[in-house]
Amino acid sequence: MSAREPQDRLVSRRWFVERMAWVSAVAAGSAGLPAGAAGADRRAGAGEARARIGRGLRDVAVRPGVQQDPTEMTLAETVALVRRGLVRPEEVVEAHVDRIERFDGALKAYADRPTRGALLAEVGRTPSDGPDAALRGVCLAPKDNFYTADLLTEGGSLVYRGFRPDYDATAVSSMRAAGGLVVGKAQMGNLAGGRAQVYGTTTPTTRNAWSPDDDAYSPGGSSSGTATAVAARLAVAGLGTQTGGSVIGPGNRQGLTCIKPTFGRVSLHGVIPLSYTRDHVGSMARDALDAAILLQVIAHPDPNDPRTLGLPPAPDFVRAATPFPGESPAVRWPTRVGVWPGYLEQDDGAVNALRRTLVERLVRTGNVTVVGEVSLPDQWDELTGSPLGGSHGDPTAFFIEALRRDVRDFGDRLPRFLNGMLQSADTYVKVQQARMLLLHRMQTQLFSQCDVVLTEGTGPFDGTGLPVLGMPIGVQTDEGTGLTVPVGATLAARPFAEERLFAVAAAWQAVTDHHRRRPPDPSV
Amino acid sequence: MKRTPVPPPEPTDEELDRYILTRYALLGIDVSVLPESDADAPMDLERLLANGRSILRQDVEAANFTIDPQFNLPVPHPAPFVAWTEAEQ
Repeated sequence: MSAREPQDRLVSRRWFVERMAWVSAVAAGSAGLPAGAAGADRRAGAGEARARIGRGLRDVAVRPGVQQDPTEMTLAETVALVRRGLVRPEEVVEAHVDRIERFDGALKAYADRPTRGALLAEVGRTPSDGPDAALRGVCLAPKDNFYTADLLTEGGSLVYRGFRPDYDATAVSSMRAAGGLVVGKAQMGNLAGGRAQVYGTTTPTTRNAWSPDDDAYSPGGSSSGTATAVAARLAVAGLGTQTGGSVIGPGNRQGLTCIKPTFGRVSLHGVIPLSYTRDHVGSMARDALDAAILLQVIAHPDPNDPRTLGLPPAPDFVRAATPFPGESPAVRWPTRVGVWPGYLEQDDGAVNALRRTLVERLVRTGNVTVVGEVSLPDQWDELTGSPLGGSHGDPTAFFIEALRRDVRDFGDRLPRFLNGMLQSADTYVKVQQARMLLLHRMQTQLFSQCDVVLTEGTGPFDGTGLPVLGMPIGVQTDEGTGLTVPVGATLAARPFAEERLFAVAAAWQAVTDHHRRRPPDPSV
Repeated sequence: MKRTPVPPPEPTDEELDRYILTRYALLGIDVSVLPESDADAPMDLERLLANGRSILRQDVEAANFTIDPQFNLPVPHPAPFVAWTEAEQ
């Protein structure tokens, strides 16, 4: 593979359609799929990923004086300062725990947390050098649907109340193997839907970090707690999951940079499932480089999740997210950027103005060609709307026993879990056919016009497994609350185009400071 | 003399509700524990059934969608070949 070309130019489009068709076909029988080949490295590629972080961050720039408040340091700055011996990992942990103890009573980002003593003991066990120390002292907040052996995993729901798994999810295990620390399990929407609520009720819990004194402005869902924890400096980065916008949505509402990678990039082993064919693990962070570092750690084959096997190896995301050197900002590879129909003609004037600024800036960015509005693939509305763009049967299949136990445990999400019982086999087959047709047309008709598209929602990209990145582009005044809140942009691309998405975001963030804005602290 | 088929009348909400409840009962799922109608409850029977009826009626839309049965997605060709070995099981 040439190091000079991004991976999305090197992977057969036909192969990816075939791969996703295989995933659809085996969805019903996933529990019976064999694990990976005997003797395979359980986390093949993980060691190389950690070494890559070491190389990539050797010369990373650190803002002057940022170590005065270790919770303000980005993930990249934390890695650099700890490695240079300018900050001790214990200091980073202490600062985060202090802040959590002070503010999480108001923000309610966490569902369960380890003690300060347990975290400090974990730091003490981490090697001080080498690949296993790549994330030493880095405080992370996985969503509460990632299994953790030492903490509850309740999925924001009565269905999993009191559940304590006996192993870590692969993604969590990868973060910990690199020296990362789980400072808490982040609250989430009920079984990965909607904003976080008191289990079994519709009473909100987690607040948006930009609305710290009341819950009127939604934190977004369902990775609400992770988004709030990262935005409010209660963690430096975190893991979310996305089946229908649940990483990018809360990230954009809270001024974060998040990526939902290509389907299969990150193992779903040890993640409470919602859909075998649409669930994705994503990284949620303060900027493109941080999101890339975390993705680098967790993106590798996992014999416990066949959906991750046989894919192109994870490329160097850290390099892709590092601003391309030169006098003016430039994207690392020649990139055509398309604009979704109507993207610049929203009812909201403030959002329009921010989007126009984004597009105008991209026009002036080296290696970027803005191709204007794209035309959508044939039968777009039918293929992406309801019922063909849906996934009703998927969550039902996993939860039949829990449904028999007590439907009330599902709270406001009950219809989503029961509906699969009502959908005919004919409809289910057509949903799968439509999804493959959509994926084919997105690659041949949409991404023939551009390499990256500025888009509205993420739905069609979630269903087809294509990568999506969200990043902040400014702030606006929310009409409902009068609060100043972030506005995000969503970028999507063809399969395995994470490098290209990171490169565009890095070029944008090299000349803007929206990703550096910090929300106000709660008035406690 | 053969009777000419005519489209049957569209099922009423009541008929669909009976179908939905029967389907859940068949699978051993008790939805009668939900309140009949309570806007303050996280979920009630009224909302559950309304949602179920909507799903059933969407089946008609899906049925009306046709994909050319002769259309096949392109696949990689020639296919990569890997021997099935004992180690792979």
